[in-house]
Amino acid sequence: MPRNRTVRLAVLGSSVQRTAASGYPSSRSSALKRRIIVGLLVLLSLVLITVSFRSSALDSAQGTAAGILRPFEVAADRVARPFRDAAGWTQGLISAKSENKKLRRQIEDLSQKVIQDESAVEENVQLKAQLHYNGPPSVAAFGRVGAAILVHPQSPIDQSVVIAAGSGDGLAAGDVVVDPSTRGLVGTVERVFAGVARVTLLTDAQSAVTATDLTYPPAVGVITRGGGGSDVLVLDLVSRSAFVGVGDTVITAGSLGKEALPSMFPRGIAVGTVSSSSNTDVNAFKNIQVKPLVDFSSLQSVIVLVPKA
Amino acid sequence: MDGVKAALVLFFVALLQLAVLTEYSAFRTASIVLVALLSLALLRGSVFGAVAGFGIGLLLDVATLGTLGVSSLLLTAGGFWIGRYGETTARDRFHAPFLSVAVVTGLFAFGQLALQFLLGEPAPAGLVAHSLPLGLLLNLLLTLPVYALIRRMFPPLELGDRVREVRLLG
Repeated sequence: MPRNRTVRLAVLGSSVQRTAASGYPSSRSSALKRRIIVGLLVLLSLVLITVSFRSSALDSAQGTAAGILRPFEVAADRVARPFRDAAGWTQGLISAKSENKKLRRQIEDLSQKVIQDESAVEENVQLKAQLHYNGPPSVAAFGRVGAAILVHPQSPIDQSVVIAAGSGDGLAAGDVVVDPSTRGLVGTVERVFAGVARVTLLTDAQSAVTATDLTYPPAVGVITRGGGGSDVLVLDLVSRSAFVGVGDTVITAGSLGKEALPSMFPRGIAVGTVSSSSNTDVNAFKNIQVKPLVDFSSLQSVIVLVPKA
Repeated sequence: MDGVKAALVLFFVALLQLAVLTEYSAFRTASIVLVALLSLALLRGSVFGAVAGFGIGLLLDVATLGTLGVSSLLLTAGGFWIGRYGETTARDRFHAPFLSVAVVTGLFAFGQLALQFLLGEPAPAGLVAHSLPLGLLLNLLLTLPVYALIRRMFPPLELGDRVREVRLLG
């Protein structure tokens, strides 16, 4: 009769925990199997990272898989929308009265400005035509593709969104993205797949855009992300002698786009307003902080500016 | 059967996080996917946790159009480690899910940061450290309902189900 018998432990009614510490062959093989599985998964992850990071070999597969996921994401968004709307409606109701007063005052101010702006635009068009001026394109030179946001940033260090438009809609990497409600700059298209695209927000550490002060156009600098956890931007590389005041509007300076920077960037997209401006002895440039016009935390949809053929 | 059920649960949780929760900026610091995965790993062991972590990580990477494998690597490691903790010392201990979530939330955040750094992408450590307390708090708040729900769907295995055989000496 063999000395080693196999029985179900439940029969013994024991509550002893069985751990990997046992030296029996069966435990050893189980531990080995476990290590092999985990090792393979880790290896597979590393291979995926390497291939995905170094080449675009997996892009088509990733695009197809993202396309398959898209209906599910849209469905989840639609299910959640009534709840979100109800919360927004309640919140809006609370602040409606004070906001109403503020908006009425703004309407009065803006009506005056619109009249002045319209005449300035007309004059500008006439003068440009007379001078045969070639400068950065305006927003009017671009077509518009509207897209809903499918996936919002997933972590504090992730400053990108996935939108429901892709190469099939005429999008290309480098296209400029704006907010449909404020017309403020949101970011640029980073990666494009058939039906979806990834947009890098202006608040990403790798984002940078040439911008200027609308009130004092010679103050040209580069808008980059500010430090800390807030959405504040920094207008860097502006000369110390430039006149940049708090409350000034910052707009994109525009670029023609060629060679190393192939994408065209229209001039005149609002970026934000100057929240602080100062000079220090240790900095060769002005310290300018800009409050973005777009509320990046509540974006629901975007407009992609596609260059007209 | 458990595998299919777990896949469906994690898919639903991933959709919830991708399309609904992260719309609110506070939830961008927390992760219901991480909490659900760790709960599953605690209840079903290391291999289950590692495989589930790999699968859900791949799904997140695909959906966010990010670098494939980054989330998979971190969640595989997290799922495996907490699965081992569940298999060895954590069974039937009330604090186990909370402790697991607290530790892995921190490690996941800094692991993600380290991988970003290695890949040459911006890795703002200050930002991560700044948002970690809120993320930790939200994840711990999510742990109670999520773990209770997952425990209900995946009841802990009886000792007899876990141990395939014993050898009696003597």
